[in-house]
Parts: sequence; structure tokens; C-alpha cells
Amino acid sequence: MITEPSWDVVVIGGGNAGLVAAMAARRHVPRVLLLERASAAMRGGNTRHTRNVRCVHDQGDDYTPGTYSFDELWRDLCAVGTGPANEQLAELTVAESATLPAWMSEHGIRWQRPLAGTLHLGRTNRFFLGGGKALVNAYHRTAAGMGVATWYEATAEDLVMDGDRAVAVTVVAGGQRRRVPGRAFVCASGGFEANTDWLRRYWGDAADSFIIRGTRDNDGKVLAALLEAGAQKAGEERGFHAVAVDARAPRFDGGIATRLDSIPFSVVVNSAGRRFYDEGQEIWPKRYAIWGSNIAGQPGQIAYSLWDAKVSRLFLPPMYGPASAPDVPALASALGLDPEAVTRTVDEYNKAVVPGGRFDPGGLDECHTDGLDPPKSHWARPLDTPPYYGIAMRPGITFTYMGIAVTADARVRTADGAFENVFAAGEIMSGNILSTGYLAGFGMTIGGVWGRIAGRGAARVASGGTSGGTSGGSDG
Amino acid sequence: MDDLPLPVDGPLPADGLFAEARRQLTICNACRYCEGYCAVFPALERRTVLEDPDITHLANLCHDCRACFTACMYAPPHEFAVNPPAVLSEVRRRTYDDYLPKLPRPPWTGLPWMRGRAGVAALAVVAAAGVAALALAVPGGGPAGSPYRVIAYPALLVLVALPCAWGVAVLAMAAARYWRQTAGSFRGLLNGRAWLAATRHAATLRYLRGGGADCSYPTDVPSAARRRLHGCVAYGFLACAGSTIAAAAEQDLAGVRPPYPVVSVPVLLGIAGGLGLMAGCAGLIWLRRRADPASSDPGMTSRDYGLLIALEILAVSGLLTLVLRQTPVYAGVLALHIAAVVTCFCMVPYTKFSHVVYRFLALVHDSAEAPGRQ
Ligand SMILES: Cc1cc2nc3c(=O)[nH]c(=O)nc-3n(C[C@H](O)[C@H](O)[C@H](O)COP(=O)(O)OP(=O)(O)OC[C@H]3O[C@@H](n4cnc5c(N)ncnc54)[C@H](O)[C@@H]3O)c2cc1C
Ligand code: SF4
Ligand code: SF4
Repeated sequence: MITEPSWDVVVIGGGNAGLVAAMAARRHVPRVLLLERASAAMRGGNTRHTRNVRCVHDQGDDYTPGTYSFDELWRDLCAVGTGPANEQLAELTVAESATLPAWMSEHGIRWQRPLAGTLHLGRTNRFFLGGGKALVNAYHRTAAGMGVATWYEATAEDLVMDGDRAVAVTVVAGGQRRRVPGRAFVCASGGFEANTDWLRRYWGDAADSFIIRGTRDNDGKVLAALLEAGAQKAGEERGFHAVAVDARAPRFDGGIATRLDSIPFSVVVNSAGRRFYDEGQEIWPKRYAIWGSNIAGQPGQIAYSLWDAKVSRLFLPPMYGPASAPDVPALASALGLDPEAVTRTVDEYNKAVVPGGRFDPGGLDECHTDGLDPPKSHWARPLDTPPYYGIAMRPGITFTYMGIAVTADARVRTADGAFENVFAAGEIMSGNILSTGYLAGFGMTIGGVWGRIAGRGAARVASGGTSGGTSGGSDG
Repeated sequence: MDDLPLPVDGPLPADGLFAEARRQLTICNACRYCEGYCAVFPALERRTVLEDPDITHLANLCHDCRACFTACMYAPPHEFAVNPPAVLSEVRRRTYDDYLPKLPRPPWTGLPWMRGRAGVAALAVVAAAGVAALALAVPGGGPAGSPYRVIAYPALLVLVALPCAWGVAVLAMAAARYWRQTAGSFRGLLNGRAWLAATRHAATLRYLRGGGADCSYPTDVPSAARRRLHGCVAYGFLACAGSTIAAAAEQDLAGVRPPYPVVSVPVLLGIAGGLGLMAGCAGLIWLRRRADPASSDPGMTSRDYGLLIALEILAVSGLLTLVLRQTPVYAGVLALHIAAVVTCFCMVPYTKFSHVVYRFLALVHDSAEAPGRQ
């Protein structure tokens, strides 16, 4: 094993949290190393798939018209899943989010005005011009300009601990194992959603048919090493955020384009050709995440969305294009389903649709079924206009919830305290803030806020200070 | 384990250029992350079905700034292999000529070795020889430094006006065909507001701004270089055209015959325009050489070079006629410049110059389609 010269701060992971932590640390100490497991072309973890960030703003501007107060964001956060896991850390996150957009602009991020594709979130969420990969590119340019060193294709395998201190990280890079010593470490390596064996512990063989929307690199190696070293868990262990994606999506890294929007305008059946959940329950963006777990619970973790010509232009065109057929039995056959079972389901559904209600694709409307189990409570219109379309869907996992517990200065917590010089930021510790459920744009907020806190804290420890107190201040 | 059994067919087969463009643009339409960069993505979002003319229209809205390519998480080596500037520039290259009327082309443009840079250079030589011969055959009169001493005014007029009229006529026919195919009815051409908006966008090179982040050109570091240099070329070209018009006005309206003094509208415009063209073309050639060849279509690259080199020859020879007009080599230099002008007018519809027409019409179409967008 090669032993490298020592660094002040070693950051593990080159997504949003890692890049922010590296830049924040570099303001205070000279030798900062960022370890990125991916190649330069594929860098940026799940962050490369993101689009926006949700922050408190007391005044609107060109990019987020209107105000979004602390209280309102706090309320939105409390309405998600079982609410904030650790109220103190969640409050800190919301409060610190207010200074995040300006910090991001200073570090090279450009924004986009709300346009067609972003309007529904335009007041609460800021959209990066060009999306997450543009953000990663900009952060890398800024970090390099500040003098942060980056190693690509460098995988952190383990932390070398000495009591409550880490002394080095074991890295495999360029085909060799290296011992990389440092004074402080920031773990920002994301969740473990790309680790099928880990998911199988909770989900059994079903895990094999999950699609992972983000990078194949987030396999939780560092998370496992931390737990092994005595770190505390945070967040629901078997939980994940998942949406319905095209069953033809690649196993990893399909990102946003494979997501399907047809559900509220369609009839959804399982592999037995039967309906199993109210497709018209809620305004759509709020219900994205329900369908990931819905499908995960069906036999074979697969379901089929069926619609007709009436609605085919009401939602985003699916990336691979749907199957189509002149009648329902032919569509069922094209999708590999039992034509009789599907025809029966569609006939029952069509009969149950209450005719004449007001149809409104933009909001909860009056079209619903009567006497059907499960019902379709909105946007229910008969499937009767050829050609008919259909698409097979699988659960697409965005991220896993379980991570490690941290203190208010982002140090990794143990059963009886915290590691002295090991910090965590981003998805790997988001379970402190949201133990279940998800609020669009808040993943990037958590990474930005906690990246700053962790980077600053790590720099303080590296330059000989103790890592006391919480964040505050606007440096870093 | 990486392969799940697929219940239905895999990704769309992408044989053929339009199929490939459709494949990529369908991914973009499901993604929409780049909608802030340029007019292509909002125009794409207004369409759920992409016919070939839609794709051509989108291709002509793309200004090859590469901002989307640099920002794309699906760019190669990702298996989705999304690269809008490359596929759209190939669509442009393949369709530019489709709109030219099926008149017999000047026979030499059909020769395979007469394309791109080689073609422009060879033609310039041929035409120069022709002009030189003509100049000798029809000697004129006038003071030293006057072009009419080298070549008689009527001969010059015919020599330049004929190919000019030809170039303009061919481009006008191409414009009409392009509009009919991509926009459908000619009524749309009567939309004054759309013309105004398109003129403003073209004049400010708005879509070379990458939505405020500048172009990722020539490298992935955003830079305003291309927009500035392109501005030098465009405005340099307009100044040169203005210089010619001013000279015609002086001569035919004011009755002042050349040579004009240095401090006069034609000469000052000519110098400014020539310098702008020279610097702009040289700069763009330099940028082209540094740009990542992966994100553009090779055929389009050689057309770009063709136009840039031709304009560079025009600019340099034009400036030389000014600088050297009192010297014995004036006749030769002027002959060379006229040859370059004649060559360019003949070739113009077949070169990248035609992008001015198609792009402008695409902007008009876009502005008519999306009145809210300023
Ligand atoms: C399709 C999609 C869209 C999303 N859209 C949004 C959005 O619009 N807004 C939002 O707020 N959130 C969004 N999210 C969630 C968001 O991606 C995450 O919350 C956020 O990116 C997490 O940032 P991170 O830095 O913690 O992790 P990541 O960005 O995943 O970064 C992890 C990094 O660690 C590296 N790494 C992993 N293991 C190792 C190792 N052993 N050694 C070295 N390096 C390692 C990876 O290569 C990567 O660089 C989206 C997620 C997906 C999948
Ligand atoms: S270029 Fe890439 S990131 Fe941009 S819209 Fe298309 S698919 Fe999305
Ligand atoms: S290269 Fe530039 S102009 Fe062309 S589609 Fe991409 S962002 Fe738009």
C-alpha cells in the first residue's frame, strides 16, 4: 500500500455536498483533497441529475418570484412523511438555507427563470441554469481555481480509526490501494441505493428489479465503514424515495428522463391485469413518490399504465415511446399481459366512470368512478378512443433514507458522543432531517447547508481548533 | 444482473439522421433541464410529436453554443449518448441544400474535389484569372487609384451585378421553400412583430449568450469569445456592404467619382468593416481549431472553414485595394479582390452563408409561435 503525504481535509464524494464542503474548507486551510469515485466525465453522483434547490427567501427575485418564509418552508417540511427527524437540525437547515443561493452564485452557479417546465415550483424552488451537471461543472471550476485538489476514479474503501479520531482513509485509485492521511475528513458519499445486496436485506429478491435513477457509485461503502466504526444510524432503515419509471430504463443512471407522467390520466394494472390503487388520488407532483412504493409492492415489481388517444398529449412524452394498438386486447398482448384479464378490468372501469363531470388536467377535477374498488377519484374518463397506449413501469429509486446521525456541527455521532474529526454532509446524513418522505429540492438544500457546516468544521479541526459550537456566521 | 428482462422493446432504433435526432430530442423533451439556454428547448416543449420539418426548424434555432452538451448528464459516455449540437448541426448541413431550387448548379460545385476550402480557393484562382483577362481586354480610364483605370465601369458593373443577382435570387427561392416546409403557410411571414423580435435576437446574437452563462465554446469553460467574434464578422460584413452602397451613392447620386479620400463614408466604412471581418474570421477559425470535434458534425466544420476563409480573403484583398491603390500592384490586387467578390456571390447559396437566411427565418417562426417570449 502506498502512503500519500498528509492533507488538511479529505472530502469523500464529489456531489453537491462534497464540492461545497471542499470549497468551504479551502477558505480556511491550504491542503484540501476531494475524492471522486467516478471518472471526470461521469462525475457528480446523483447531483448531476438534479434541477433545483429549495431555500427560504424573504424577497422574491427574477428566479424565485414571491416570498417563501422560514415558517412556510418549516410547515412544508413538517407535512412530509413523519416530519423532521431531529427538529434542532431541521430548523438549522431551514434557517441556513436563506444564505445558500447567494453563496451558490458566488461560487459560480447560474440560475434560470421559471419557464414552462418549472412553473409549478417557481416560487419555492430555484432552478440552476442547465441543471445539476452544469452545477457540478461550475463548482469544479471554482474549486480548482481555489486550489482544491481532485482525484477522479478514486474510491474510498475504509476509514482508518484511532479511537474517536480518523487518521487516514484507504483509497483505491489507479489500480492501487493508498493510505491517504489527513487531519479531518468529510464523508459526502451519498446513500446506498446502488447496493443491491444491501437493499436485498430488506426487500429480498424484489431488490433485483428496482431501477436506480442515479449513479451506480453510491453503494454505501463509506456509510458501512462508518457504521462499522461505531457511528449511529439516522433515518428509516428500509425506506427509500422512489417514483414510477419506464421499465426499459437502464439499471442505473437513467435520471429524470425515464420518469413517467401518464399515471393520473391512465388506468394502472399489475401483471395479473388488475387495478390496485387510485390513479387519480392527488395533484400529480405530490404523488410521484407514492407510485414507486406502490409498484414495488406488486408481483414482479411491475405495473402497466394504459391510456387512450384522448389524453395522449396531456403529459410529457415518454422517452422510449409507448406501445400502441387499435384495441385493448391487442394492447394487452403487446405489453405481454393477459388480454382477457385486462379487457375485463377496463370494461369494469369504463362502466364505473361517472359521466359528465368537468375534466381539468391542471387540478383536482370532477371526473371520478362510482362503486369501483379501488376507485379512481379524479381524471377518470372511459378508455374508449383508439389508438390505445401502454407502458410498463418499475420502481425507480431516487435515494435511500438511512444514513448516519450527526451533531449540530456535522460531526458523526457515536453511541456516547461523536468522532472528533469525521464530518458528514448531504444524502449520507439527510436522515437526521427527514427520516421518511421527501420535499422536492430539499436534498440539494441539505447538501449545501451541511456541506458548508462540515467543510468549515473540518477546516477548524485541521488547523488545530476544536470543533465546538454550531454554525452561524456567513463565512465558508 | 444489470439486465432486467424487458417486457417490451428497448430504446427506439435510431437508423437515419432524423430518427437519431428524434431519439435525442425525445429524451430532451422528457428532461427539459436545458430550457433556459436557448430557443430550441422551449420550441421543443411546444411539440409532443416531432415531424421531420419540426426537427429541421429546431436545428436552425440551434446556434451550436454547446451549453446544453456541456450540461447534459446524458452526454457520452452515458449510454443515452445525447449531443444536441452535433446531431442538429448535421441536420442543418444535410438540409441546407434541400431548399436550393433545382436549377443546374454552377457545374464546378458538383466536382467532388471542389468542395469546402479547396473549392473556394480553387474557384478564386479560376475567377481571378478570368477577371484579370477581362480587365486587360476592357481597359478604362480615370485618375490614379481609381478602379476604372483597371477595369471599365460597365464591365465591372456587369461582372459584379450578375453573380450578385444570381446569389440573391437563389437564396430567395431557398428561403421560400424553407419557410413552406417548416412553417407551412406564407401568412406567417406577414407577422411584423415576429420580424421585429427576430431582428432583435439576430442583431444582439442573443442565443450565443447561452441563457446568460455564455457559450461552452471552444472548450467547456463558458466564454463570450464566439459571440464577440461572430459580432465582428456580422457587423464587419454589413459595414462592407454599407461601404459599397455609400460608394454607389456618391458616384451615382452625388456624381463624385472614385478614388474617395480616406476620410469619406465609403472608405471609413470599408476599413472598419474589413478590419472587423478580418479579425472576426481569424478569431473564429482559431476557435474552431480549438473546439472539441466530438460535439460538432465534421461536414459542418468544413463548411464553416469554407465560409470563414472566403470572407477572410474578401476582407484582406479589399483592405489591400485601399492600402495599395497608389502603387503599381493596384491592378493585380483589385483584380484579385473582384475575383473574390465574384466567386463569393456565385457560391453564396452553396456555402455556410445560407445560414443567415435559414436561421433568421427560424427566429421569425419561433417568435411568431411564442409571442410571450422576449
Ligand atoms: C433523478 C434525480 C433527480 C433529483 N432531483 C433533485 C432536485 O431537483 N433537487 C434536489 O434537491 N434533489 C434532487 N435529487 C436528490 C439529490 O440528487 C440528492 O439529494 C443530492 O444530490 C445529494 O447530494 P450528495 O452530494 O449528498 O450525494 P451525490 O450527489 O450522490 O454525491 C455522492 C458522491 O460520492 C461519490 N462516492 C460514492 N461512494 C464513494 C466512495 N466510496 N469513494 C469516493 N467517492 C464516492 C460519488 O461518485 C459522488 O460523487 C434528485 C435525485 C435524482 C436521482
Ligand atoms: S441536452 Fe441533456 S440535459 Fe439538456 S435537455 Fe437534453 S437531455 Fe436534458
Ligand atoms: S448547442 Fe446551444 S443553441 Fe444549440 S441546442 Fe444546445 S444550448 Fe441550444
